Amino acid sequence: MGNRLEGRVAIVTGSGRGIGAACAKLLAEEGASVVVNDIGGAVDGTGEATAPADETVNDIIAAGGKAVANYDSVAEYDSAGKIVQAAIDNFGRLDILAHPAGILRDRMIFNMTEYEWDGVLQVHLYGAFNMVKHAVPHMIKQNYGRIVLFSSGSGLGSSGQSNYAMAKEGMVGMARALAPELAPYGITINAVYPGAATRMTATVPQSSRDLRAQAAGLPPPVVDPDGVGDAENNAPKVVYLSSEAGGAVTGQVIGTSGWVVSLYAPRHVIRSIHKDGRWTLDELDELIPISIGRNLTNPMPPAPPRQ
Amino acid sequence: MGNRLEGKVAVVTGAGRGIGRGVALLLAEEGASVVVNDLGCDVNGSGSSNDPADSVVEEIKSSGGNAVANYDNVADMDGGENLIKTAVDTFGGLDVLVNSAGIIRDRMIFQMTPEDFDLVVRNNGKGTFVTCKFAAIVFRQQRSGRIVNMTADAGLGEIGRSNYAAASEGIVGVTRTVARDLGRYGVTCNGISPMVETRQFPGTVDEYRVASGAPRDDRAGIGQSPPLADWEGPGYRDDPDNVAPLAVYLSTYAAPHINGYIFGVRGGSIYLYSNPAIERSVHKYGNFNMDEMDVLMPKMIGSGF
Repeated sequence: MGNRLEGRVAIVTGSGRGIGAACAKLLAEEGASVVVNDIGGAVDGTGEATAPADETVNDIIAAGGKAVANYDSVAEYDSAGKIVQAAIDNFGRLDILAHPAGILRDRMIFNMTEYEWDGVLQVHLYGAFNMVKHAVPHMIKQNYGRIVLFSSGSGLGSSGQSNYAMAKEGMVGMARALAPELAPYGITINAVYPGAATRMTATVPQSSRDLRAQAAGLPPPVVDPDGVGDAENNAPKVVYLSSEAGGAVTGQVIGTSGWVVSLYAPRHVIRSIHKDGRWTLDELDELIPISIGRNLTNPMPPAPPRQ
Repeated sequence: MGNRLEGKVAVVTGAGRGIGRGVALLLAEEGASVVVNDLGCDVNGSGSSNDPADSVVEEIKSSGGNAVANYDNVADMDGGENLIKTAVDTFGGLDVLVNSAGIIRDRMIFQMTPEDFDLVVRNNGKGTFVTCKFAAIVFRQQRSGRIVNMTADAGLGEIGRSNYAAASEGIVGVTRTVARDLGRYGVTCNGISPMVETRQFPGTVDEYRVASGAPRDDRAGIGQSPPLADWEGPGYRDDPDNVAPLAVYLSTYAAPHINGYIFGVRGGSIYLYSNPAIERSVHKYGNFNMDEMDVLMPKMIGSGF
């Protein structure tokens, strides 16, 4: 048990279970007082319960840490404000905001409904904005703050998750745009690509994982290689970003799953063509296939016609 | 005037002005029948007018093309559905969707209201989803289709634009996902991040720099850069119409293997972006403890050497 976060106050959204709970526990172990926020809903965002948040709080207190439960939703602006207020009321300040709360409503684009789109964006992306918006004034007063938004590698393209990709890549964009805004106030903001076998990933059937691997030309996935299934493996990286030592890191995307920590490069220009004038379609027809479009692979090519 | 899209039907959102207008005109020039969609709102999303869409339809018709105006708000489901229906009802089908509609409400996070955030994410992000969804229903049935989504580099870290950055990088995520949802049906979906001068982004960056004294190169202490080469042919360097050739190229059947990629256009330069990938990593057989994190993270990030 360390003391890296002695005297610090943290909010972890969605920390009743899974990755959020693992992060909340390690933050507390390092001395932070933690607001354990969780509405206790199902994976698709329906229903609520106090038990998940209470359970994490009990675990933290049993281990000698300080924690308080909160059941408000991040999805609405005013109720997100209550979560931040809970930190101020109970512990007098707010240093760390981690936002792993999230729900899943997967559907192929042609079948996706407004309910599925709005619900996922509301919790992940609007939730991130709502929490940051309420947390920042307190952090500015202290001239210190650490924000970690939980994005996902799914933003790089995962069939049936256009709502999730919008929310998760949107959080990356938000973190990168806010980093320079918040830097003068000693506040860092980063995004992480976490991973673990949780309630959420259990919604993906094993057969479709095998199919995805097959489509990508990979062998079927082995059960938990490199500890990627264990939620606790995410926690040290998140806690580092939440510590004073993590102050040099801002506006970045960090991979936190398994027994590896990684830094992602943002999308950047890898090929280009130039002309001092407007391109014509004749020129592009000729040039793109042998320059910037050369050897690009279609990630999901059409099946060959049936005989 | 070519015939690459003879007999095809295209929908272009935000086609009343700027980038969308240029794309609509070139699609029509290549023979496509175009649904010119524009809500006719202000850059911040307020107000509406039929004039922008009408005038582009007029332009297309007067040069012998086929076009019809549509004024629906693509950010609501009914609007998006009606837009795609307009294409099917008027021209008998749909082959190309170009999403160019977008608004901007720049504010630092301290002043940004929930409304600023919501309007930008809804109009730009949800607007892209809604049209993709209803177009996808048609494309999936006919086993072909082309989608081009306009996004922006704000998502790579532009100050005062957390809402626009979230929407833009979100659109990148949606583009990659839709490419994977629809690729098997012979559909492609790609993104373009343009840098041009429009109503949304008036003036060039250098224009603002002049006021603050010496030109940028002088202040950097590297002397003046040589002047840019003259622009040849139609338009000018920051002309929004420079985006149209790439957008139309991606709307034709020239490149069925280009699916799920993000391109950039600035002046006469066309870029291909990488997909984000792991740049550096540290591995261990087992979970890290905090002492190891303290040592390894600065090294990995690059500040520890």
